Amino acid sequence: MSTVQQDTFDIIAKQAKIDIATITPQSTLKDLGIASLDAIEVIFDIEEHFNINLPNEDTDLENGTVGHLVEAIERQLAQKPASE
Amino acid sequence: MRRIVITGMGAICALGHDAPSTWKAMTEGRSGIGPIHHIKPGELRNGGIAAEISDYDPANFFDEARRAMLDPFSEYALIAANEAIRQSGISFAGESAARTAVVIGTGVGGETTRDGMYERLYGEHQGRFHPLSIVRLMTNAAASQVSMVHGITGPAFVVATACASSNHAFAQAAMMIRAGLVDAAVVGGTEACITLGTLRAWEAMRVLSPDTCRPFSAGRRGLVLGEGAGMYVLETLESAQARGANILCELVGTGMSSDAGDIAAPSEIGAAAAMNLALRDGGLSPEDVDYINAHGTGTVANDSTETRAIHRVFGAHARELVVSSTKPMHGHALGAAGALELIGAVGAIRDGIVPPTLNYLGPDPACDLDYVPNEARAMKVDVAISNSFAFGGLNAVVAVRRAP
Repeated sequence: MSTVQQDTFDIIAKQAKIDIATITPQSTLKDLGIASLDAIEVIFDIEEHFNINLPNEDTDLENGTVGHLVEAIERQLAQKPASE
Repeated sequence: MRRIVITGMGAICALGHDAPSTWKAMTEGRSGIGPIHHIKPGELRNGGIAAEISDYDPANFFDEARRAMLDPFSEYALIAANEAIRQSGISFAGESAARTAVVIGTGVGGETTRDGMYERLYGEHQGRFHPLSIVRLMTNAAASQVSMVHGITGPAFVVATACASSNHAFAQAAMMIRAGLVDAAVVGGTEACITLGTLRAWEAMRVLSPDTCRPFSAGRRGLVLGEGAGMYVLETLESAQARGANILCELVGTGMSSDAGDIAAPSEIGAAAAMNLALRDGGLSPEDVDYINAHGTGTVANDSTETRAIHRVFGAHARELVVSSTKPMHGHALGAAGALELIGAVGAIRDGIVPPTLNYLGPDPACDLDYVPNEARAMKVDVAISNSFAFGGLNAVVAVRRAP
């Protein structure tokens, strides 16, 4: 598991108060019982942790999987200037 | 029970600086949504669009002394109230001053003033504020200003229920008139929320659309904020007839409910309860309603939930009546939303034209009613309801009927 994926799983587990073992790349936030404002808070925690902005297109809270979210985070991290 | 009628209507919003131009734009299906001017480009994360009032200069409406006291949210309320009072021809001289109420809905109050102060304090480390900062930003300022300018000495206050504020305000005014506490009311809603701080907070909630507002449509992506005010003169049918006033329509019922559930997610049960209560309050049956001016924000959740609530209340008649959201034209003006949208309901009754739901791309299986897509429709409307459902799970609905 990549560090980004590990960190993302940690954030989701902590925010949603669920066992990290239940999270897989195929899970959607909805599957994990994270809806509405809780899901938006997860995205916020991820943005704060990695110091990135996730566009709305990358945060499909209904059907997007955790795996997609990790890919979106990695894309944003790759675009960040090295000095930041 | 005392019957209540509307004898004056005023507005300022992205569609125009008065009620007639706002209504005309609604019938033409014109949108006031465009790139934001109040905020520097590049300071927002996505979208950067809103329905702002254009070509606006407060100096055209107020003298310097009055202007010094006013945040834009009070300016808008005064401009709309002045128009409504002028049209109504009502006088607040003598005893009628104390027999009139002012009730104004607003979501956030003096946000422009607050934003400016905090920029100075935290951004520029300059702590000297304008001495009138408090009287500008206080949320009751709009009601106070209308009371002061027009010499209205009865109860005056502001109602804050986020996006349902206007409709809750109508309900408070109607109850006071029916109870005999007052004989008339200047009532509506106002909002001036296009500030950097407010916009960033809305962005963080991930409900702002990056392209435009397309309620009930396939491919809808969220709401677009608007600003402005709508104000009305309400009075008893008796007093309007006695003074030979031009009656625009009857305010026949109001309904209020709370979801007591999620702070943000809408509830079909709560929305349906408010619609049912407005019908019952007005002695209406579901079949009486021809047109629903929907809350219709353009978010995935609101529009499908509101559709289910309409099915729940109206049964088979849900397929007979028409529904539209005017938010793609004037934007979501939060505390002013219900007051601006009532222009659409009143106009439909008076002119036989139902304003359209703009930007409609095609049906969403979860939204299966007649939403009057893209073009206004000529249609006789005798009874209309206007829905407002707020964050916080607070719902309020107003029912209006052709003038007696």
